[in-house]
Amino acid sequence: MRNLFAFFRRFRVFLVFILMQIFALTTYFSFLQYPRAQYLTTASTVAGKTMALRNELTKHFNLGKSNSALQRENKFLREQLPQSFQRLQYGLVKINDTLFKQQYEYIPGTVINSTVTKRNNYFTLNIGEAQGIKRGMGVFSDKGVVGIIHNVSNHFSVVKSVLTEEINIDVMIEPIGLFGLLKWNGEDARRGTISGISNDMKIKKWSKVVTRGGSGIFPRGIMVGKIEKLKPVEGKPLWDVVIRFSENYNSLQRVYVIKNLMQEEQEELESNIPPDDEE
Amino acid sequence: MNVVVKYGLRFLLLVALQALVLNQLEPGFGIHLMVYPLLIVLLPFEIGTISLMLIAFLMGILIDAFSNTYGLHASSAVVIAYFRPLIFKALAPRDGYDPLKEGNSYEMGFRWFLYTFGLILFIHHLWFFLLEIFRFNELLFVVQKTVFSLPFSFLLCLIIQAMIVSKPKER
Repeated sequence: MRNLFAFFRRFRVFLVFILMQIFALTTYFSFLQYPRAQYLTTASTVAGKTMALRNELTKHFNLGKSNSALQRENKFLREQLPQSFQRLQYGLVKINDTLFKQQYEYIPGTVINSTVTKRNNYFTLNIGEAQGIKRGMGVFSDKGVVGIIHNVSNHFSVVKSVLTEEINIDVMIEPIGLFGLLKWNGEDARRGTISGISNDMKIKKWSKVVTRGGSGIFPRGIMVGKIEKLKPVEGKPLWDVVIRFSENYNSLQRVYVIKNLMQEEQEELESNIPPDDEE
Repeated sequence: MNVVVKYGLRFLLLVALQALVLNQLEPGFGIHLMVYPLLIVLLPFEIGTISLMLIAFLMGILIDAFSNTYGLHASSAVVIAYFRPLIFKALAPRDGYDPLKEGNSYEMGFRWFLYTFGLILFIHHLWFFLLEIFRFNELLFVVQKTVFSLPFSFLLCLIIQAMIVSKPKER
């Protein structure tokens, strides 16, 4: 017993060092996979408030840019208002529309903290549970897809952005409808890759890439980017597709969080698929 | 000035600078400026390794909380706090350390500061980028980030040191 105490006394510095490293590294590697708590992230109250304050100070630098982006979007929406259409038929009775039912709702938010050069980049939004944000909701901006909500507190949320390693968003290549998974290689914030595109189809350069809407996180057809480069993968019947993102994540400000009103219905239906029987 | 107040202010200043300004800057070429190792080299010579590591850990975890890195800065800060006594011992001046002095470039000489702080900063950057990237087939990228960031971090630390450490009076 005495030897044990002597051992601890002798190596106490090293033991404390190891303990701290274990604590820091387990939080680091486990948080990358799955968030357990809100403290120690920018979703916590103190850090969130500070970041909101910092954004309050620096947001004016981007004012011109975000204004013109908003204006562009306003123009687009205004064009869809009833006032901007000429009525072709009169005298019809307006009835409650049973052909279309709202599936997606959008919650607007502002990015108050973001990085783009790290290996895994997270964005903090100034909206949280109080605004109806939940883990797993999709996030996009007027120019393109942004990411998926990773962690939520009462008034803030952290987005796992497209610029993280295991983002895996369902995307498809526009005119031909081929689909694959969106990935990021961790280096260039303007470019991503799509995996799982088989090379028996001809793909044109600069064709549009949009979300597929398969998992119900994103609606179909949100812009992701354009195909910049096609390379055959050696030894496999696949293309290595490099795309250029349509959104510049360096200067991202205004985003929308997607609320899918029919998510549960889809999940319930899909959970009934029998699992594969493997021998 | 009281020692606790003095180091407390430096602690707050460096954490705020790192978390609110430097972690948001992205100058390109893989450069990531980090200045908080400066505090670890400035802390008094006679401080124990365990309390040094505790301060480093606290500082790292605070910075982590503001930049969504979940323990990355904490781990790197603890590593250099652990290595500080070994480096100080290896590079000690001939008659040991004067407990009235502190490890800045004015009192210990620029040469000593260059070697000691350079080595500490190198270990810190290497460990940080190794963990951040964490892939063996991208070791070159780790080295690139380390080599590019190191001189800029060092220069920035020198400037900050000139602002927060008062020069000793001429004898």
